[in-house]
Amino acid sequence: MLHLLGVNLPDQKILSVALTYFYGIGPKTAEGICNRLCIHRQCKLQELSETQINELSEVLSKMTLEADLRRQIKDNIIRLRTMGTYRGRRHHLGLPVHGQNTRNNAKTARKLNPGILRRHYHVFPDRPFSSLASLFGGSRSI
Amino acid sequence: MTRSVWKGPYFVNFPNLKQAIERNIPIKTDVRACTILPSFVGARFLIHNGNKYLPLAVTEDMVGRKLGEFAPTRGRFSYRQTKNK
Repeated sequence: MLHLLGVNLPDQKILSVALTYFYGIGPKTAEGICNRLCIHRQCKLQELSETQINELSEVLSKMTLEADLRRQIKDNIIRLRTMGTYRGRRHHLGLPVHGQNTRNNAKTARKLNPGILRRHYHVFPDRPFSSLASLFGGSRSI
Repeated sequence: MTRSVWKGPYFVNFPNLKQAIERNIPIKTDVRACTILPSFVGARFLIHNGNKYLPLAVTEDMVGRKLGEFAPTRGRFSYRQTKNK
């Protein structure tokens, strides 16, 4: 196992696959990184030289990954919510944000959307939801 | 689909905007599609949601969004046992 930026990467795997263990790197980005460092496609992590690993970690440290990325996403959603936008509202309600139908299912949204807000309610000290409710037309619940 | 950049943002001129900011009078409007410009910051609006006019105080964060985003048009579903209520 190689420990890079707080993530354990599997030695046995092809580099582009191993890189997808990072939150924020998918197959496409991983391939791009490999190409940029001139590492051939089938190269496994254990076959990398010391300098290549250094180059790799340099590239990775410039990217927004893991906790930073999670925080960035969370902040974006919370900003929408505190502003009182439609999108923030949809996140809060656990409904699709991009105008999908909600007659059936909307399962992905139900699974993912409210979670981030629910876990971070305490970040609204300056503007509790009761005052937000008044923004949305008084007595109507949000 | 995002709007073409060459068109620039869609917005409407509010002739009394400056006065409204100075005197803190809300601007009553139906133009939900109007983009919030930097010059709107500090103004208060009453935005139509199809039923009534909802208040909005424009802050810096809101620049670049549309007025309509801040006036929800649909209420939340709440179950009623009978229709005649």
